[in-house]
Amino acid sequence: MSASPEPVGTIYDIGYRHYDGPRLGRRGAIAAIVGAGLRASFGLGRSGRSKIIPWGALVLALIPAGVAVAVRVLVGDLIDLYSYSNYLWGIGALFPIFVAAQAPELVVNDMRHRVLPLYFSRPIGRFDYITAKLAALSLALLALTLLPVLILFAGRVLAAEDFAAGLGDEIGALPGILGSGVLHAVVLAALGLAICSLAARRAYAAGAVLAVFLIGGVMAGTFQEQGRGLADLAPLFNPLAILDGARQWLFGGVVAESPVAAADLPLATYGLATVLLLGVSLAILALRYRRVTT
Amino acid sequence: MPLISTRALTKRYPGVTALDGLSLELEPGVIGLVGANGAGKSTLIKILLGLLPQTEGEARVLDLDPATQGAAIRELVGYMPEHDCLPPDVSATEFVAHMARVSGLPSGAARERTADVLRHVGLYEERYRPIGGYSTGMKQRVKLAQALVHDPRVLFLDEPTNGLDPAGRDEMLELIERIGNEFGIAVIVASHLLGEIERVATWLVAIDAGRLLRTAPLTSFTERTGQLLIETDEPAEALAARLVVRGFNAQADGRTVVADLASHDRPEFEIYDAVRDEANSLGLALVRLEQRRHQLEDLFRVGGADERVA
Repeated sequence: MSASPEPVGTIYDIGYRHYDGPRLGRRGAIAAIVGAGLRASFGLGRSGRSKIIPWGALVLALIPAGVAVAVRVLVGDLIDLYSYSNYLWGIGALFPIFVAAQAPELVVNDMRHRVLPLYFSRPIGRFDYITAKLAALSLALLALTLLPVLILFAGRVLAAEDFAAGLGDEIGALPGILGSGVLHAVVLAALGLAICSLAARRAYAAGAVLAVFLIGGVMAGTFQEQGRGLADLAPLFNPLAILDGARQWLFGGVVAESPVAAADLPLATYGLATVLLLGVSLAILALRYRRVTT
Repeated sequence: MPLISTRALTKRYPGVTALDGLSLELEPGVIGLVGANGAGKSTLIKILLGLLPQTEGEARVLDLDPATQGAAIRELVGYMPEHDCLPPDVSATEFVAHMARVSGLPSGAARERTADVLRHVGLYEERYRPIGGYSTGMKQRVKLAQALVHDPRVLFLDEPTNGLDPAGRDEMLELIERIGNEFGIAVIVASHLLGEIERVATWLVAIDAGRLLRTAPLTSFTERTGQLLIETDEPAEALAARLVVRGFNAQADGRTVVADLASHDRPEFEIYDAVRDEANSLGLALVRLEQRRHQLEDLFRVGGADERVA
């Protein structure tokens, strides 16, 4: 714009300006939805109240790892560090809480307040939309399922007498750490969003997510009391146990507290159950969003 | 290349035909799409946006095929739906900027244009507050802003004055006119309110039950009909009868008479003298005497369709 002779401070209407800059199309749109979804997952740009659960869960997931690593590095051999798989199972209770609190933020209002037609009248399709939401929640969940374990990993390497030797000892665990983190994050995100896509309000969605995990846990417990046979099926009612079983199947590492240890099922069963859980969740999402009228 | 063209466009649902062999060619401007509720306006818009496949026929928007190039079209058009479509817990600024990015704008441009567009639609301080607390008028402005923020070449507005009070209606219509004329963006505005369309549109497309009634410049809808409208203070059958006796073609309807201005080979304005003389001799007071114009409403009167399909 050229300088105007008008006095400084005068407000004048500069009229409508056309936009001839770049248009990023479908990729830009998907990136925007992923970015906004990530922010929503941590309550960024929202009230302080909506930050409590996601940040609280993240801090709780990180504290034991952080403290243990700090003590180990500063004080030395006083304590043994948690094993990677024990740690992931140990903080598992935080995952349903995070998903129940944040998954509804990503999808319920868009559906309830009929914002979806505004998305679909832009250069994306319905599957782009839900894929972007899934990616956003999965990435957010990685902060819980991967970050603390990576800190533990760093602690183990740093606490070793010889850095190179320590790295050599631990590096073999890295694929398992990454794989387990991604597996948990993606399956939990898909399950959470699938449940939320069926709920009319955010509160119902949160309740439904918690219910699925609680009922799964309770049923697993009840079955376990029934003695042999049925007890072996117990973990299959608990999504977290299914994921732990699949993790063991893929990467090894037994967790003593996990119902998987008590049940006498081939580990591949858990792999199958995980595929089924993910498949059903994705199918629910696909069907639900195909039915949205524009 | 026309802005929008359709050829024999048909959309059938089980049991219902929403669009029935619609053929159109539209050039840029403010185009009014009129029809009763359920006439097929929204269906047409959704097909043009590539959100709904047609059953038969062809459509092109900006020389792109909605059926196969929907995403490319949707990058260049804006859409304001008829229904509520705003999340209550975010601010207008945040929401419109997000929608700009989903339209493909980089984040810097999205923020800049959001500020511009919200100012153009008349949202100022309140744009930082959550949308849930807005009045209907403010919400309609946000809906318009999100359709405009990526500087579309075509804007589809579905019943944009829905739920607005008379003042809000005037402001919205004024905005639409500015967008069409000043901003240079083609606007397709769908409405069941002819009076509103008449105020903003330069071209009119009338559809009824999925069929095209007429597509023409607005002026041709309201041109003179070559008829004289005579309104009296009492039933006017006698006046009509006398005019017929004098050789004019006249029909009475309650207290009004509609007569052809030119009958047989009489001079065009001789009828005025005849009306004056006959009204005087019958002792009728004349209330109104004017050359009749087409009314937009005529389009939807029984028989209107058959007479006027182009």
